[in-house]
Amino acid sequence: MSNEKAAIRNWTRLQSRLGRQAARSVVGSGLLSSLAGIGQAWCVAVVLGHALVGWHAGGQGAGFPAWPFLLFPALAILRALCMIQADVAAARAGIVARRRLRGEVMASILAGGPALLRRTHSGVLASVVVDRIEALDGFFGRWVPASVLWMAAPLVILLPVGILQPRAAVILGLCGIAVPVGQAVFGIGAAVASRNQFLAMTRLQARFLDRIKGIATIVLAGRTEDETRRLGDAAEELRVRTMKVLRVAFLSSASIDCAMVVAFILLAVLDGRQALAMQASGPSPALQQTVIASLFALLAVPEFFAPLRSFALAYQDRAHAQGAATAILDLPEVTERPVLDGARTVSANGVMVAFDDVGFTWDPARGAALEHVSFTVPAGETLVLAGPSGAGKSTIMELLLGFITPQSGRVLFNGAPLQSIVPDALSRVVSWIGQKPVLFAGSLRDNILFAKPDADERELASALRSAAVDEFLPTLPDGLDTQIGEGGFGLSGGQAQRIAIARAYLKNAPVLLLDEPTAHLDPATEKSVFESLQRLAVGRTVILATHSAAAHMFKGRRIDLQNGRVINRQGAA
Amino acid sequence: MATQDQTTAAQTNVPPVVTAPQSSTRFTDWQAICVIFGLWRRQGVRLIVGALLALAALACGLALMQVSGLRLAECVLGELVVTTTLLRWVGAGRVTLRYAERLFAHDAMFRALADLRVWFFHSLAHGAAAGLGFRRAGDMLSRLVSDIGALDGLYLRIVVPLACACLTFPALLVIVGRQSLVLGLAVGLLFACASFVVPWLIARSGQKAAEQSAHLLAHLRISVLDLVGGLREIRAFGAEGRMLTRVQAADAALLQGQMAVARRAAFANALAFLFGQIAIFLVLLAIGGILFPKLGALEGVSILFLSVAAFESAVTLTRAGLQAGIMGASARRVVEMAVKPSVARAQAAQQDAPANTSIRLDNVRFRWAEDRPWVLKGLTLDIPAGSRVAILGPSGAGKSSLAALLLRAASPQSGHILLGGEDITTIRPESVRSKMAWLSQATHLFDDTIRANLLLGRPDASEEDMWNALDQAAVSDVVRSLPEGLDTWVGEGGIRLSGGQGRRIALARTLLAPAPILILDEPATGLDAQTEQEFLRTLNSVTEGRTVILIAHRLTGVEKLDRIWRLSDGVAKAAAA
Repeated sequence: MSNEKAAIRNWTRLQSRLGRQAARSVVGSGLLSSLAGIGQAWCVAVVLGHALVGWHAGGQGAGFPAWPFLLFPALAILRALCMIQADVAAARAGIVARRRLRGEVMASILAGGPALLRRTHSGVLASVVVDRIEALDGFFGRWVPASVLWMAAPLVILLPVGILQPRAAVILGLCGIAVPVGQAVFGIGAAVASRNQFLAMTRLQARFLDRIKGIATIVLAGRTEDETRRLGDAAEELRVRTMKVLRVAFLSSASIDCAMVVAFILLAVLDGRQALAMQASGPSPALQQTVIASLFALLAVPEFFAPLRSFALAYQDRAHAQGAATAILDLPEVTERPVLDGARTVSANGVMVAFDDVGFTWDPARGAALEHVSFTVPAGETLVLAGPSGAGKSTIMELLLGFITPQSGRVLFNGAPLQSIVPDALSRVVSWIGQKPVLFAGSLRDNILFAKPDADERELASALRSAAVDEFLPTLPDGLDTQIGEGGFGLSGGQAQRIAIARAYLKNAPVLLLDEPTAHLDPATEKSVFESLQRLAVGRTVILATHSAAAHMFKGRRIDLQNGRVINRQGAA
Repeated sequence: MATQDQTTAAQTNVPPVVTAPQSSTRFTDWQAICVIFGLWRRQGVRLIVGALLALAALACGLALMQVSGLRLAECVLGELVVTTTLLRWVGAGRVTLRYAERLFAHDAMFRALADLRVWFFHSLAHGAAAGLGFRRAGDMLSRLVSDIGALDGLYLRIVVPLACACLTFPALLVIVGRQSLVLGLAVGLLFACASFVVPWLIARSGQKAAEQSAHLLAHLRISVLDLVGGLREIRAFGAEGRMLTRVQAADAALLQGQMAVARRAAFANALAFLFGQIAIFLVLLAIGGILFPKLGALEGVSILFLSVAAFESAVTLTRAGLQAGIMGASARRVVEMAVKPSVARAQAAQQDAPANTSIRLDNVRFRWAEDRPWVLKGLTLDIPAGSRVAILGPSGAGKSSLAALLLRAASPQSGHILLGGEDITTIRPESVRSKMAWLSQATHLFDDTIRANLLLGRPDASEEDMWNALDQAAVSDVVRSLPEGLDTWVGEGGIRLSGGQGRRIALARTLLAPAPILILDEPATGLDAQTEQEFLRTLNSVTEGRTVILIAHRLTGVEKLDRIWRLSDGVAKAAAA
């Protein structure tokens, strides 16, 4: 637990450091803008000071110096430019950081490979890549620069104020120091409060989403009124709990307000008293100097507190970073696959596949998935793996695909252990068809060419014919250019499986792995898909996992599995 | 009748990914926001008090700046009007009012949001929701949830600052205008530009940008989902590089769009700031007597400090304008979805379902939408009360459509469906559904305990009833072996259970329901062959006296059935029992 917390803290710290480099331009513009603001305050103070003292002297004042009227608009334009620069740079810092993080997360997902899907839902992974990282915009764009500026900008402002009006600088400084103290006290309070409420709040928030997703189930079960009432109660509870947290959290921003008000009043009263004493003795250059300095200090107060305020506002962006850190740290690290000495490729024609006393365990609590499994499939022959679901068929497939490595024993391709084969070479010799092929968003053509992007029209046409895709092509609205996949035209299970077969034809690999390819099909479709698969199997080494009775169409060896052990063999398996 | 049927068909047509629901009820963003304000009427007093507190806090803020400036100036002139007591009061008022305002406004907003969520759930449940059970609509629904989340900011970030600006505007006009009419008009005009015109412009341009960036985000999400969901294919075909390039292209497009928006927002921000600076500059000129009639020193100081504070509060409105476009679109989607009229809310549907539970379909023709092919073309079926029937057919033959029709999640274009001799369009949908318990592929397991999930089927079920149902669904051993038993949290969509276990819990829930008719759509999915047979045998005995409609693509041979139909080409053919 504390280990995990330390990891999150390290991650946040590392990201802050990386972010700070990108945020340098934001911080620079912010400081320049603060300085320009102080300059403007000086201009205003000079004009007001002259007006006041001149008025006091009976309207015969020496007139106004011209420079504040020129400097003020110039500084205003400079500040506007600084603001644009800071905003754009902040947006850019956020974008650069998100692009980098997305790349890193995608890399670790690809490195984790299909085994990752066993423990994490694909929707969860996608939301890490898209939403969690999107929510980090504020962390890099606002929080990181604000965490530098809240110290730097007030100090930059304090310097000129201190030169002109030391007492005002002391007051501002003291009030400024009070802010972090207040923030810390109330921030810790809010953290404690939110920790107490956090679990309940997350569950209540998730509840709404969950009920909306399952709304059809609720309606059709006739429980609408009940659930509506419960949802109302949950929302009310959420409000009460959230307000408990906010009551403390808002105190921390109230502490900034308080410090600012105190600074205002102290400056107005103390400087006022001094001015009152001086004005009794008539107008003098000293009076004018004091008035200008005092007005300047007063006008500098909002500038002084502005960075502190935006720091407090950006604080919630930090919470997003911690949420993202938890999700990202949960992903596997990218490790270069160790390529063993003598890494080799496999000759592309005729591959013999063998298991030599293979054992594998997914989860020690649930026992071994495979124990002492051995078999041999000579080049060009077929092996049927039979057995109920959970018997270990899918685990054998994943081992053959190299998604996982055996914990004992060896998987051999033409006599070479699988681990010693270059991953690219392995994916070149193996074709795989699962229960339901994944169709990517895009055209039907793109989906088939996925197997071999550089295939020419002739190859494509022959794959379409062999997989019997051409039989249903005319029923699609745009033929080969029909958009399928997410948001596109829906294909039936049999049609989708034919796409997978066409992919396998295009790839033309010597080893064909079939993992329950007809599990979701009705008997008529199953039969015709099996026929296509039989044609595809000619001349290839085939391993077919199935519990369908129709598998007898495949002549060859057969082993029966139960609870991860081979219980029966037919043929020379 | 015919026209009603047409609109009905159009409304049930919810495509898998809906960007803009096809609906006869279209709203502009503004109308949608008005509907939401209408919903908030119940919290109206609180919301108004919250806004008033914000105004009071703002007024104190303006006054604090003004009186501290004045106090100093008066000291110079030796005529004290502003006392330290006044200063202290204004200061204390500023701090406490601001705190109270934030607390109160947030509380009011959470109440209003709770109302909105309950309203949304309720109207969705009474409208198109039933039809969603037969469509893959999860993406659309989660998007709606985030839309409702986006509406959080409507009150706090837009309404309250806008109300404040609306009050500041006349106050500024009067206070400055009293000293110098020209100056008052000029400052007022600049304030209006900074707090109304610039936010309005950015809101207008932001609307298009928001739509585009939502589209780009969806595109990125789809390509990431493709990559993650297709990890096996990608690894098997060695396509890592190609898929990564696709995601990166989608990512780059999204980020580029966001950069353009950020740039525009930066310019708008700077523009609003410059308006404020010009106003302050004009006041300075007036104090100096340049271009404007010369102001008195005291008045000058007071006006200057007031303007500085007023324009500072106007800056937040630019950000509000940026969000207004996004919120308008969210409001529109939410309202359009929620106010969709019920699919089968016929005017005559007042009756309760009769006690007799025989079902008869008479020459039923049905398709999901005008532009979709006919699914059922004159289907006739007769299911006597208490009988056990199977309806077989390949996927896409219309088995699920039949379930949707029986549950009144859709209505036939022609023909009649009779329940106990009454046309079901004359019976209240709730009453029809109380007679039927339904298990489908899309049945949702809620992110709750097993107990809560089971109780959804029958809220008054006893512990024993629940264990019975779990026994019948062949999952009681699994539940017993869990350390927390019935109180085990099943996770989102039942993710903490295996697929087969989750299905069996859902099945137990269906069996638990007191309905006399059970519609089981592929109940044995996720069970291995042996368990499947055991389960179907149990089903023969436990459903004694209830009508069972088994929908499947094949039979295993152990089912005891009275009738079997094969659905093909939109009609049912009797097969040997």
